Amino acid sequence: MKKWMTYFKIQFVLSIRSVDGVFFGILMPLGIVGLIGLTSGNELTSGGYSLIQGSFGALITVGVCATAFMGLPLTIADYREKKILKQFFITPAKPSLLLWVNVIICALISTISAICVYLFLHFGWGFTIQGNVYLVIFSYLLTMTAMYGLGMFMASLCKTTKVANLVCTLVYFPMLLLSGASIPFEIFPTWIQTGAKILPLTIGIDLLKTTSMNLDATNVTMQVIYLAIIAIISIVGSMKLFRWE
Amino acid sequence: MKVVEVNHVSKSYGTRKVVDDITFSVKEGECLGILGHNGAGKSTLVESILGLKKFEGNITLKGFDMSVHKPQLFQNVGAQLQQSAFQDKIKVIEACKERAVLYDKEINIIEKLREFNLESFQNKEVESLSGGEKQRLSIMLASLHDPDILFLDELTTGLDAVARREVWKYLSNLKKKGKSIILTSHFMDEVEALCDRILILEQGKQLIQDTVEQVIQTSPYKTMEQAYLWYMGEEELI
Repeated sequence: MKKWMTYFKIQFVLSIRSVDGVFFGILMPLGIVGLIGLTSGNELTSGGYSLIQGSFGALITVGVCATAFMGLPLTIADYREKKILKQFFITPAKPSLLLWVNVIICALISTISAICVYLFLHFGWGFTIQGNVYLVIFSYLLTMTAMYGLGMFMASLCKTTKVANLVCTLVYFPMLLLSGASIPFEIFPTWIQTGAKILPLTIGIDLLKTTSMNLDATNVTMQVIYLAIIAIISIVGSMKLFRWE
Repeated sequence: MKVVEVNHVSKSYGTRKVVDDITFSVKEGECLGILGHNGAGKSTLVESILGLKKFEGNITLKGFDMSVHKPQLFQNVGAQLQQSAFQDKIKVIEACKERAVLYDKEINIIEKLREFNLESFQNKEVESLSGGEKQRLSIMLASLHDPDILFLDELTTGLDAVARREVWKYLSNLKKKGKSIILTSHFMDEVEALCDRILILEQGKQLIQDTVEQVIQTSPYKTMEQAYLWYMGEEELI
């Protein structure tokens, strides 16, 4: 436990010192919230709910998306490229220590981001969660686990920061732009919506929207199974395929 | 008692053999120097022993196979690699804490920093240190847990004359305490000062393996540097 706490403290301080995580994980989601709030406020959409209500599920995943698909893989790839992981190999350390500590830090930043988004919406535009709060928390944690699983998988495989940058760009931007995390999903043409529906983040956001707005829960079971399978496969895969060099 | 046993170890990259059928052992309290030109296979051999590279042959440390008993063995093995690497913006004290917490032994970090004249740098970021200071920190981290076997790959590269002598003194004391050391170096004065035996590699193959005195005596010269150049076929440089 002492080992984990020491690593957590030092890695957390390092992530704060580098600023990127805080900017993309916390400030960027708040910026998007501010933009949506100022442009559409509490105006009702054709669905009978405000854009803020409809976007809440998506907005709380922006921080997850940024830390899982940019922060985590880039940090680990950087450690690998600079031979820092190689130095860890010649100690009694296990790869899981560094990988999980960084996952926990990213998850902490995302959670702080989600809480800030909620508070900003609540005090700025009077937003409240209409569904069961526990189900929303469960949906958020499941979505987060699946996204970090994918991030860990990418972190385990990318040899250099150059490769990680390319892979992260190919995964991060489609997820961020097409899943509804930054641009409301409903405004996309049907063919883009159809394609984007297979993205794990789209599934997660849909699940969060359903639970936070207390909507028809027909697809929830399938969505939970889908995200759980993604999480299990990617986490197990990342642990098996982790490379020191 | 033999603490390191390397038997018929070879390592190839594709069709190129970089380590070719090397056999040696190191006893408790002994220091072995691995010498050779750049690209002779010194670092590859050291990294194979440490389990960083797959190889043909057999290697045991304290009688155990590194690939099977890695976490337990590294409680008593320390290593400094050729390239020191540290996380961005990490401070000296943080790098020490991260390393120290991995070992079962209680480690007095401040005392270790003092031993390596790094105490005043503890709150500085590692990237602000000079090359020599970083190298001293790397050696300190490798020996932080007072290991029984210490691997040092080009240990004093980048150190000034005073810092080199201090490192030599530290390593000599380790030897007196019964610690075993395997080092690679390009400095022959260092090899003479620290090593009991040496292994010279040329294109991955063993050229000679003997005590420092014997290696010098076998050559027509009187210093290790001259003898080394003679063995490497560079006599015209003497």
